[in-house]
Amino acid sequence: MEGNLIKLSEEFLQELWEEIEEMGMSVKDLRRCIQCGRCAATCPMALAGLDYFIKKIVHASILGLKEIFLEDSSIWGCQSCNRCVEICPMDIKPYELILALRRMCMRNYAMPSSTIDSLRNYYEKGHSVITAGYEERRRKLGLPEVPPTVLSNEEMRKKFQEVIKQTALAEVAPFPLD
Amino acid sequence: MKRVGLYLGCNIPFRRPDVEYSMRYALKALDFEVVDLEGAACCPAFGSMPSVDLLAWCVGSAWNLSIAEEKGLEYIVTGCGSCYGSLNEAKYHMEKHPEIKQKVNEILSSVGKKYEGKVKVYNFYNLIYDLVGLDELKRKVKFPLKGLICGAQPGCHNLWPEKVFPANDENTFQPKRLREICEALGGEAPWYSTITDCCGMGALGTLAKDKSETLFIRKIKTMLEEINPELYVVGCSSCLLRGDNRQAVMKKEGKIDFELPAVHIAQLVALALGAEPEKVLGLTEVPIEKVLEKIRGGA
Repeated sequence: MEGNLIKLSEEFLQELWEEIEEMGMSVKDLRRCIQCGRCAATCPMALAGLDYFIKKIVHASILGLKEIFLEDSSIWGCQSCNRCVEICPMDIKPYELILALRRMCMRNYAMPSSTIDSLRNYYEKGHSVITAGYEERRRKLGLPEVPPTVLSNEEMRKKFQEVIKQTALAEVAPFPLD
Repeated sequence: MKRVGLYLGCNIPFRRPDVEYSMRYALKALDFEVVDLEGAACCPAFGSMPSVDLLAWCVGSAWNLSIAEEKGLEYIVTGCGSCYGSLNEAKYHMEKHPEIKQKVNEILSSVGKKYEGKVKVYNFYNLIYDLVGLDELKRKVKFPLKGLICGAQPGCHNLWPEKVFPANDENTFQPKRLREICEALGGEAPWYSTITDCCGMGALGTLAKDKSETLFIRKIKTMLEEINPELYVVGCSSCLLRGDNRQAVMKKEGKIDFELPAVHIAQLVALALGAEPEKVLGLTEVPIEKVLEKIRGGA
């Protein structure tokens, strides 16, 4: 019987709050939101017409609706532009909520495949984005074929990976860090 | 001689190395010694480590900044808005939370590295604005823009969050600095009502391609109606990928009926200072010959 009931206990509502607190967002700050809509008026996600843009994301978080974020991918479309942080009259830092929610989702293995690709590139090559054919493009301009970054420096790349292995990426990456 | 660390990031060295070439050329022409940050990695991009964990993000950024510190640099420069934002935001978090900075250093020390927080991170146009100055820039121009009308696009990450950056516009919702640089080069860069609108590149472009393109189309169409620019000048390499490379694809797909050539501000500065057009504009996709002819024709 119990398995079929929706648990609307305080415990259930607080589950998301506890997780986002752990991921760096202050729920006390969040609950100051008055849903005025200033963030929505400047949010590129809202202008582009995503289902869940910043104002709705804040509201759903206050209501503890964790499932929304595990199922809907809108939070991964945030441009990290920080307009909402700049414009919020209650200073709740909505963008920090987006990051906290993404971190929570990652720990539940709910993330887009493009995120996995960029993390794998970041760990293996030191660059989240590498566009094929760069050697030719660089040669044409008289630049060294491989840029002077961690990509062209074996010793630094090993050290870089050694460092990254000691971060939370090692716990959440859906690929081996070796 | 002023020394500046060149922080490359990902999109510039791999996708648009013409911006890297232009930054190197322009900085040298403006009397900087350009120092490479050997072993630097991704900033890291907002969709990667910042979305994993705050400490992980700070470790990634501190790795890059420690390389600049080892070289005794006071400042570095980026041409990509995301790099500018991510590095400066991480710096801000480490400054604000000494316990995070301490943990970062515990991890970095395992490979003999250390982060102190001494290096300033500029973007290209603010570096020119603050450390060269408009008068000096004007004095160095060899090929003035001859009144070329520029539609300026500073880019989101070059403006917000205001509190984390070493330099910024006085009013970030009415930005002037990028426009003033275009004007110092001999162009005109009027204000238009969508100047701070997002170009749609980035996470949104990856997650919702078509929807993100509506942002770009609305921004540019409004700009064309209001100031009818001859050139779109951006302060961020992501805005360039959207404004040039993606625009060319959208044109082919029949999604747009305009054609507006686009450059990164580093390309425009390099061109005005005398760099070879074939290298500065070597990877441009939207036809740009008319602009080049106006600036360099008969030279």
